[in-house]
Amino acid sequence: MKRFLTILICKLLRFAGKLIGKGSSMPGQVALKICPDILQRVELPPYIIAITGSNGKTSTVEMIAHILTKSGKSVAWNREGSNQIEGVTTMVLSNATLSGKVKSDIMLIESDERYAKKTFKYINITHYVITNLYRDQLTRNGHPEFVFEAIAESIQPDTKLILNADDPLVSVFGHERDGVIWFGADELSTDTKELVSVYNDGAYCPICKAPMRYKTHHYNHIGIYECTQCGYHREDTDYTVTAVDMNKGEIEINGKYHISLALKSLYNIYNILAAFTVASLIGIDGEKIAAEMNDYVLKNGRVINFKLGDRKGTLLTSKHENSVSYDHSLRVACACEQGADVLIIVDAISRKYFTGDVSWLWDIDFEMLNNDNIGDIVLAGTYVNDLAARFSYTDIPQEKIHLFEDIDKAAQFLNNGRKEYIYIITCFSDKEKILSEVEVEEV
Amino acid sequence: MKLLHLYHDIMNLYGDYANVSAMERILEKSGEEVAVDRLSLGDNAVLSDYDFIFIGSGTEKNQKTVLSDFVRYKDDLAEFIKSGKVLLMTGNSFEMLGKTITDGHGNVYEGLGLYDYTTVEFTGKRMTADIICEDRTGSLDKKLVGFINKSSAIYGIKTSLFKIRFGIGDNEGYHTEGIRDNNFFGTHITGPILMKNPHFLIYMASLILGREPSADHLTYEQKGYETTLRKLSERAQS
Repeated sequence: MKRFLTILICKLLRFAGKLIGKGSSMPGQVALKICPDILQRVELPPYIIAITGSNGKTSTVEMIAHILTKSGKSVAWNREGSNQIEGVTTMVLSNATLSGKVKSDIMLIESDERYAKKTFKYINITHYVITNLYRDQLTRNGHPEFVFEAIAESIQPDTKLILNADDPLVSVFGHERDGVIWFGADELSTDTKELVSVYNDGAYCPICKAPMRYKTHHYNHIGIYECTQCGYHREDTDYTVTAVDMNKGEIEINGKYHISLALKSLYNIYNILAAFTVASLIGIDGEKIAAEMNDYVLKNGRVINFKLGDRKGTLLTSKHENSVSYDHSLRVACACEQGADVLIIVDAISRKYFTGDVSWLWDIDFEMLNNDNIGDIVLAGTYVNDLAARFSYTDIPQEKIHLFEDIDKAAQFLNNGRKEYIYIITCFSDKEKILSEVEVEEV
Repeated sequence: MKLLHLYHDIMNLYGDYANVSAMERILEKSGEEVAVDRLSLGDNAVLSDYDFIFIGSGTEKNQKTVLSDFVRYKDDLAEFIKSGKVLLMTGNSFEMLGKTITDGHGNVYEGLGLYDYTTVEFTGKRMTADIICEDRTGSLDKKLVGFINKSSAIYGIKTSLFKIRFGIGDNEGYHTEGIRDNNFFGTHITGPILMKNPHFLIYMASLILGREPSADHLTYEQKGYETTLRKLSERAQS
């Protein structure tokens, strides 16, 4: 009876919440108040797939859901990205019958990396994907090793781990563990021998702290590595990006599946590879997966095309307090052969909590923008002076850099008839402030 | 002038390195020829060769790895501090100069023992806060801003560096933070504290130079500081 009532109340609150445009964590929060172990009292699908890590969770989950749905599977998933226990509870109960059965074939959970243990207390995860561990949200997470400990506590003994072999910090989860599925990339044409980053979180072995040696860097500390002392090394992969052609915008997986990229970026490639891996393990044919991923445009609003006057552009949602996320976006802009102007906005550092910390700006490799493809660089928002100080420590000619505290003035400046493409790089917390100044292209 | 960024590749969370960049530039702008050495585990640094030494913050595990290498510098470091040269240590790096560090599992690590304070790390918990503070010795007439993200409490610092006006100190409920001894500055404020607080940079540079440094190039840093101070002050009052 308690189960019935809890599910009913959760469904009603969710329904009401949707009508007034409220988020998806409140109904679950109420459900957990009424019945703290409600997740244990519902009957869950045979496949329960969780995804965590610093970056790429939401996009990877969306891709997996897309492939599985198109392959005729029914999928329950937290599509709104409410990824702590409350949001997951809302998702589970919304998909349950009043008698407490989730009828989907597969449940797909994007999980916050810090609180996964709490979320999974009453759920037996069958497959657990861990994407990467980066410096992310200093103000909340501390550092990657601290997040590592939190994720480690959430791993259940019988769960099949699906790990990014190219991230030495993530691979530790599969160290001396049987049955791990590894995904990663072979040496790619986009690789560098030397690290291209302001810092190196792969400099020392995460197991024994001896220096690490990289055969190749895909980006930042992601690559093919080995410890110079204890033998810890990048594992051979089960699912592999075997080639990439960034000019053409195409990748090859496992030597035979070709996927054309809607977004020519390494982070997109890793998300696709993780989705390919999971879908394959569920039994979807590789050709089918490749067909569904071909030119797949994310629906989650992370990449938004727009027009500003006669000029075209793309907003690349990047995470403040997450330098790898910024580095990826900068790489995309630099690859624009027709030439691009770049607008970077730091106005509110977080939408979820208060902080005035801008240390993370110094971890971003802005030097990359010292590139012939890049024209004007426009810096905007409350923290424009901190951005300007950071840029004064690059070799970028200072006359290319334009400063505006007001975001609308930055938009007016860019609406100047130049022909170059525009890339806007900013966070969830700030993107609406610029999207209101441009004409957004519908997906 | 010679600057040393010690353990640059392992004690370097969240842009700590920029403290060295800021110091390098202000000394150059003041007419000095500046060389920066970046050394790490296993290197042999001759501390007395340097006019300024910086060590940044690291993960709790990396700090222990560094500590086992760092102990050999005990006497040289004591001499460096005694001589009045400038040493800046941010984040958990300055914990190493105390008596002991006890980790979350109860393991006790011997520090360099230059000071009597002790550090106790938490398990699975971090203390984080935006900071507004004042220099305890009164050498600086303006407040400082910064951010602390720590997983430890420090007990028994006798000569604090800062008085906390907003945020957290050495431990829960403490209003003092860090250590100052001669020209050794230790603070748990992480990241580029000298970039964010140009007046602190100018003061530290004046200690190195023995004269007033040139500060005309710090316009953005100055405005950035004012913005952060305003934002944090609004927050403190709300």
